Amino acid sequence: MKFRTYFLKRLLTWALTIWIGVTFIFFIPRMFPSDPVESMIGQISARSGSMDPQQMESLRRSLRVQFGLEGSLMEQYTTFLWKGLLHFDFGPSLMSYPEPAGDIISRYLPYTVGLSMIATLLAWIIGNIIGLLAGFRKNKKSSKILEGIAICIYPIPYFIVALVLQIFFAYILGWFPLTTTINNFQGTGVFVKTLLKSSILPALSLLLIGTGWWIISMKSLAASTAEEDYVLYARYRGLSEGVIGRKYVLKNSILTQVTALAMSLGGVFGGSIMTEIIFGYPGVGTLIQKAILQSDYNMILGCITISIVAIATATLIVDLIYPFIDPRIRYS
Amino acid sequence: MKKRIVSVLLASVLATSLVACGGTAAPEAGGDAGAGAATEQTEAPADTGSSESASSEMTEVGTPRNETLIVETQTPTDVPGQFNSYMQGTQMGFGIHQLMSAMMWEMDTVKGEQFGEVAEGMPESNEDFTEHTVKIRQGIKWSDGEDLTAKDVAFTFNMIMNTPGIAQCDYYNSVFESVEATDDYTVLIKTKESFPRLALRMGVTIWGNDLRIVPEHIYSQVDDPSTFKDENPVVAGPYTVKSYDPLGKWILYERREDWQNTTVGVVTGKQCPAKYVWFRYLGDDTTRQMAMIQNEVDILCEVTPEILQTMMSSNDKISAWYDEFPYATSDDPCSKGLAFSQGQGAPYDNADFRWAIALAMNFDEISMNIFDGAGRSSPFGILCNTSAFQDLYAKPMQSWFEDFELDLGDGTTCKPWDGEYKNRMAEQLGITGDDAYLEDMFGMGCIKYDPEAAEKLLIKAGLEKKDDGWYFNGEPFVLNLTYLADTEAQAGRGVQAAYDQLTKFGFNCNISSESSATWDSNGGTGNYYVAGYWPTGFITKDIYSQINGWDADLIVPLGEIGSGQGSRWNNKEATDIIHKLSKVSPDSQEAYDLAVDFIKVQYEEMPFISFHSGVKFVPTNATYWGNYPNANNAYNGPWWWWSCFKYILVNFTPQ
Repeated sequence: MKFRTYFLKRLLTWALTIWIGVTFIFFIPRMFPSDPVESMIGQISARSGSMDPQQMESLRRSLRVQFGLEGSLMEQYTTFLWKGLLHFDFGPSLMSYPEPAGDIISRYLPYTVGLSMIATLLAWIIGNIIGLLAGFRKNKKSSKILEGIAICIYPIPYFIVALVLQIFFAYILGWFPLTTTINNFQGTGVFVKTLLKSSILPALSLLLIGTGWWIISMKSLAASTAEEDYVLYARYRGLSEGVIGRKYVLKNSILTQVTALAMSLGGVFGGSIMTEIIFGYPGVGTLIQKAILQSDYNMILGCITISIVAIATATLIVDLIYPFIDPRIRYS
Repeated sequence: MKKRIVSVLLASVLATSLVACGGTAAPEAGGDAGAGAATEQTEAPADTGSSESASSEMTEVGTPRNETLIVETQTPTDVPGQFNSYMQGTQMGFGIHQLMSAMMWEMDTVKGEQFGEVAEGMPESNEDFTEHTVKIRQGIKWSDGEDLTAKDVAFTFNMIMNTPGIAQCDYYNSVFESVEATDDYTVLIKTKESFPRLALRMGVTIWGNDLRIVPEHIYSQVDDPSTFKDENPVVAGPYTVKSYDPLGKWILYERREDWQNTTVGVVTGKQCPAKYVWFRYLGDDTTRQMAMIQNEVDILCEVTPEILQTMMSSNDKISAWYDEFPYATSDDPCSKGLAFSQGQGAPYDNADFRWAIALAMNFDEISMNIFDGAGRSSPFGILCNTSAFQDLYAKPMQSWFEDFELDLGDGTTCKPWDGEYKNRMAEQLGITGDDAYLEDMFGMGCIKYDPEAAEKLLIKAGLEKKDDGWYFNGEPFVLNLTYLADTEAQAGRGVQAAYDQLTKFGFNCNISSESSATWDSNGGTGNYYVAGYWPTGFITKDIYSQINGWDADLIVPLGEIGSGQGSRWNNKEATDIIHKLSKVSPDSQEAYDLAVDFIKVQYEEMPFISFHSGVKFVPTNATYWGNYPNANNAYNGPWWWWSCFKYILVNFTPQ
């Protein structure tokens, strides 16, 4: 009964969070001092050199109707809530009209999720292992070296890491392509090979920086946990260091890291924009950037709605499974 | 425990390396730096046949490198597999209009003249320009073997007029009465009103044109041509689609085997030398640079001079329009400078104020700040000084420009023309050559730097100079300058240079950049004061299409978006000339004389201060392909992103 009440409350909070989030992102782009129709006309006339005034007026009328910008703001909002939020139909992309924004997002999302999810999980695992060792055995030389490396890597902006990797491994050594090129028409083997070759450097850049953060945070948690009375007591009981590390320090330190992981996993839907730009990797990050620059309301709504739903859902899941990880927490 | 962790880490690193390098031999060295990762040693496709090519260098998309021309596209597409030019969102510059589209009239960018591509010559019109007969070239076939005939042309016009989803539908219906094929190779076009510029409006003048002839036997079968993606396009151009990236980053084109029956084959009688053309998006500037140096791309669209010099110093096969300074071509028909939002009222709507701004800036310094002095000056207001414009209009009018005087309001006058600019720049940059050479490189002259005259004109315009700066209507006067962020280096640097000059002159200035969407909207609504907008350009003798947007009748109140110029320059004399020009043949002497009158009026009024014509640094890499157009071999301009690229490409030679 307690769980049911708790679950319903959390579900309500989850729905409320999403509604508030998407309402903000519906109205904010419409306050931009820009207009997607004018943006498109600007692009067309800049390209074609000149446009007859009559031709321009016809085009403007036609685009406003086709883009669905004719109704009132509230009409557009209710349509969005019904179609976008409940059916994930965000309407046509204004910058790639009439391609549905949802179709474009779903084309890029697997690449973003695949890259960022794997990089985030690997960074979390590696970072926590190293952080645990560095925090639990903080007086050992190896721990200090590992911590030192993490402290050095972490503050480096990740696009710098990406650039260094690109210059060294792609430009100088030529082991990887400079920019992502996925060959899809010569069989699955070639597709997988080109996909992997194109993904390794972007993943590595995310992994390196991500690992640094997890090492530092886990080291700090593990070091303070290692000072706790129950750890000292375990030592007095004569338990081995391995058992103390796994069962006492890791179990108590990992809780915060699990929450942080859930937030990070939710965030992968937003993409890793700089990595995507540097390696030309297809992803949602650059899609959002382009959509903002070109006032593509529907695309902005689509990308950020997915991100909001993902983060809110990840948080909900963590809240629900937390008591299973830490039995001290009950649904109260 | 420790050993186990180390083993796992080592195994992960090893596995990663194996996956990354698995199956490929060591890459070929490319250029002077690094190794070429975009090309690898792989077996060539069976159809190449020869043992020599069996182990030739291959591109990442599996084509022999020496048979593949690699061209950069400026932006990826979000609609991969969409090749219908009448469906919105299709990215025509991704090789689609350069290699596949059939245009009615194409452009000789050197002569500034159109020629028939699908059309056999120029249209023949009746006296009042309401009936136009267009002959269609014989011998062009679609890529599925069907003949391209007058029926396809008539069908395309009617398809546009009958499909509301096509953006041009309303416009075509407002212009055309009827379009019909009178026989297999003749089309009769009737317009509702006098329409003397059929070829100029329906053919290519610079980048391309919205009218692209489609095969009737394909498009008549679809319900709505505005939503038909056309994933397997049947085309009249010299290439067809072989494959494309489902993520929109590249398209691979293959030359048609029946090249004699393609548009380019029929027009030129030549075969395009590259069997494959791979249009690819490369990403950010650093990646583009590295790819060019590594010979992973043959042609880039446009770079900054700094990037060009870096690339040229790393790979001696890379060059641009000129081998040496100024490197760039100055014939891009979009001059860059300062636009005034005259709808903001005084003093922006006052010609004296605008002339004062022009005289307050030292153009030599502006030029050095933009591209180190590279670029042809274009002091002719809204008319861009391409070489065609300079020869056709500017040189014959030189004495008028030299004699032109400004009334400074205190009984004195000033002649603002400065004909010495080219000589000063040549001396400063160590360039030698005769007058014609220097005029082509630096232009005939510029607007004089005369701060004293500028002060007088500002006072005449109602401004007041005090110890702490300029005042207008009793309030401190602040000059707000804006420019488009990131995408247009020449325009952006021009505004930054102007900011420096005007600050030095004594103005209190602000400067800010805007994203493209904001920039475009503000350009229409007039929500700016002084900005780096650029009027559109032209390289034909007829200037009507370049100036018709400056018709004052099209001006709407500030904040609204109209169909004309966002500057809101309201001049009756100029408007009358535009109206007269719209009714006369573009080839007539009267049209030329009216154009000259217009140039004079707008020079007197200076609605736009132009710095240079469009300066483009467009690099090519001669490792695999040669005979690119350049200053010594100017058979065309370096316009890889224009539809006329196919007529450039046909002249390339394998190295």
